Amino acid sequence: MNSFKGNISHINTKGNLSIITIQINDKIKLKSIVVETPKTASFLHINNEIAVLFKETEVIISIDQNSKSSVQNSILGTIKSIEKGALLSKVNLATSAGDLTTIISTDAITDLNLKIDLKVTALIKLNEIMLSNT
Amino acid sequence: MIALNIQKELQSTDGKMLLNLNLRINKGQLVTLYGPSGVGKTSTLRMLSGLLKPGEGVITVNDTTWFSTDKDINLKPQLRKIGYVFQDYALFPHMSVLQNLEFALHKNQKSNIITELLTIMELDQLKGRKPDTLSGGQKQRVALARALVQKPEILLLDEPLSALDSTIRLKLQDYILKVHKKYSLTTILISHDIGEIYKLSDWVFVLKDGLLIQEGTPSEVFISKKVSGKFKFTGEIISIEKEDVVFIVRVLIFSEIVKVIAQESEIQNLGPGDKVIIASKAFNPIILKLE
Amino acid sequence: MNWEPLILTFKLALVTTVLLLIIAIPLCYWLAYSKSRIKPIIETLVSMPLVLPPTVLGFYFLVAFSPNNALGDWLNGTLGIKLLFSFPGLVIASIFYSLPFMVHPIQSGLYSISPSLKEAAYVMGKSKFSTLIRVLLPNIKSSLLTGIVLSFAHTIGEFGVVLMIGGNIPGETKVASIAIYDEVEALNYSAANSYSLVLFAITFCILLMVYLINGGYLKKSRK
Repeated sequence: MNSFKGNISHINTKGNLSIITIQINDKIKLKSIVVETPKTASFLHINNEIAVLFKETEVIISIDQNSKSSVQNSILGTIKSIEKGALLSKVNLATSAGDLTTIISTDAITDLNLKIDLKVTALIKLNEIMLSNT
Repeated sequence: MIALNIQKELQSTDGKMLLNLNLRINKGQLVTLYGPSGVGKTSTLRMLSGLLKPGEGVITVNDTTWFSTDKDINLKPQLRKIGYVFQDYALFPHMSVLQNLEFALHKNQKSNIITELLTIMELDQLKGRKPDTLSGGQKQRVALARALVQKPEILLLDEPLSALDSTIRLKLQDYILKVHKKYSLTTILISHDIGEIYKLSDWVFVLKDGLLIQEGTPSEVFISKKVSGKFKFTGEIISIEKEDVVFIVRVLIFSEIVKVIAQESEIQNLGPGDKVIIASKAFNPIILKLE
Repeated sequence: MNWEPLILTFKLALVTTVLLLIIAIPLCYWLAYSKSRIKPIIETLVSMPLVLPPTVLGFYFLVAFSPNNALGDWLNGTLGIKLLFSFPGLVIASIFYSLPFMVHPIQSGLYSISPSLKEAAYVMGKSKFSTLIRVLLPNIKSSLLTGIVLSFAHTIGEFGVVLMIGGNIPGETKVASIAIYDEVEALNYSAANSYSLVLFAITFCILLMVYLINGGYLKKSRK
């Protein structure tokens, strides 16, 4: 599981749902949607330090740094290492917030011609990000 | 209702510790005392049953005072009408299963309760056996049945299932729930097993260093504040297998086994038998209606 | 051969053992469960006969039971009990002499029972007495047997104490061990040998029985 620490910078609540924006560092901002509101979860308040968690298998890798998509969260990184398996492979990225691991299909590595030192973008949908009280 | 407000100096492994508790337990509830070893859980049960004298305080049960330092009352364990299942079962080795149950009868009590309990706990086949010929799970059933012979209102269970393997444990949890409801008991359980606490108890008291540090329903106490995931269960790891660059972890959740994909760093401190929380966002599961 | 000393020996051992059992059970119960501060002192006193020469014990009984002494005078004068050079005196001395042999096995037997057995009985409303009789004693049968047999055998082997306070009165205090000593003194080796042989054989059989029963050999062969 990938885990970054950050501070809540914005909370947008409607009914039972909230979209929480977390500032990880000055370059990276992540958004998460949760079935909670500041009323139901005490840790949801501006400036509170929390951890954002997401599974390696939920990370999408794009080699086009300016591609437009519906995915709200993107983190720029450089490929540090690749561990190839028969079907799945692990790709480790160095980002400004620290190491990030993704698990993608081995075929995708060949198709995109992923190599060490290549600059890529990691994309994570906002419904894949979990929040944890630190 | 049980109201217990007691202080007692206990000898723990790191020297002296002051147990200072104020608990209220409603009639008919099944509550758990939870906390690390040596925080005074067993001592609390022993004080409630009269086997250990509190240093100071008051214990009242349904408006009857069982213990009070002010009024100088200390009801003998013989008069407290409690069912107690000891951690080591405490079955009398020289008596058969049936004799163990018969020993528990009051002087003028009819023995039909024994027939009933033997049936409920499925002990009919074993009634002629001596305790040392029984398995752990069977002993536990006998101990539970014996504790209920006198039809107590309060049942105390001191880590009743900790020595048993998970399948037998699940079955015994059902027995405990069954008798708790059938005999309208107020039950106090000591347990370390979060899955078990979830399944059995209405309320949890968390003890630490002799003090009550938290109380609430099992979900309030154990998970609600840890992760925001809405799809959350506690379970026990059955196995971990490597597959390509990932690991497949099998987890027993209640009586179902689920598979979860995990990564090397996640399983580093995990092994079969460990208790874990399995969580996912509420957005991920799909729902299908059963025909 | 004169059987009287042998019969007297077994009578003494039997009476002593029965009385010891009656005394030792409450004493052991107290020793096993009491938290009293004087417990170590009582434990020490009980064990003293193990290390003291029997003659020391005998000497103090001699002094205590003597009519020249307040206790002996009171017993003799008021109650008409004469303990010196009499069978009742021997029984009392033997009880003290064999006390550790009865107390130690029973005490360790009670220690070995998980306290939860006792507590389980209390929670079921059983009195302390009923718990002792119905739960504790049945679970220390082998300790009781060991205590009984060791006390019995030890009383048979008693010599020094008897010599000091019993003397050598036929039919009253002349037990087998004294008779043997007597015959040897008279250079009557064949009579001494008959007594010795009988004592040897009987004590051997008694002890063998204990080991067979406690070792579970008899049970296994029955299965």
